Amino acid sequence: MMTSAASKRFLRPCTWVYAALIALTCVTWLIGRLQLSGLSTALLVLALALLKGHLIGDWFMGLRAVRGLWRWAIVIWLIVPGALITLAFVLSYGN
Amino acid sequence: MNATDTDGQRSNEVASAYPPGDLAIWIFILAELLVFAVFFAAYAFTRMNHVELFNQYQATLNRDAALINTIALLTASYFVVRGVVAAREGDNALCARWTWAAIAMGAVFLVVKSAEYAHHFEAGINLRTNTFYMFYLSLTFFHFLHVILGMVILAAVALKAQRGGYSSADHTGVETGASYWHMVDLVWLVLFPLVYVMR
Repeated sequence: MMTSAASKRFLRPCTWVYAALIALTCVTWLIGRLQLSGLSTALLVLALALLKGHLIGDWFMGLRAVRGLWRWAIVIWLIVPGALITLAFVLSYGN
Repeated sequence: MNATDTDGQRSNEVASAYPPGDLAIWIFILAELLVFAVFFAAYAFTRMNHVELFNQYQATLNRDAALINTIALLTASYFVVRGVVAAREGDNALCARWTWAAIAMGAVFLVVKSAEYAHHFEAGINLRTNTFYMFYLSLTFFHFLHVILGMVILAAVALKAQRGGYSSADHTGVETGASYWHMVDLVWLVLFPLVYVMR
């Protein structure tokens, strides 16, 4: 059994972030496995991906401790293709 | 330049003006991300005119393999974070162990993805089969090559850590390798839902 100090050392914030990333991935996989379709489902899956990307940027890449433009580099990258993909899917469902 | 952040916990109150690792790798990372963003947009807008075809052939992909690969890359990223934390605490041996574990997870990704490719090639699928497979094969293979490069960089970090090459005051190399690896993971986190799930 882990001591309190060892447990604290192992259960760092990044461990919780990792658990959240795995959980969100399983939700995405389940949606794919069930072959759920529709614009709202597609955009939900995309939103989950962007959220996961944000978690990677902030917690794993360490950008939450950075100020200025670099702080938002990954967020901006996620928003730009995310917006283009959203636009393409909205238009494809409008056709 | 060393980051002041340790596993998201600031060691002092002043945030850094620069991201962890060498600034040059971040310029490279942004360039790589830009290329992948163009690929993703091209996939999405091409799909607009071939929705039926993309949905039909997307259904042939192995989502279970994609799940295993996503978990492998996320786990590798987590191990890399632990390696960076160990380096910041001056524990080279622990840093090397976490980094080798991350490389092993990268190898899992390569094996599973190679099995997927073998399955497709045995079925006679190639870049000219149709537009969906052209995008699927080129996008995933381009990413596959980045995983290999990431593993090579991590191996260099692990070997240097084994030789005691980092310290709590100087671990920029570990952060640089880690940043590149996280970029590889980040790209897959968009690629996986876009190509395997969204329909």
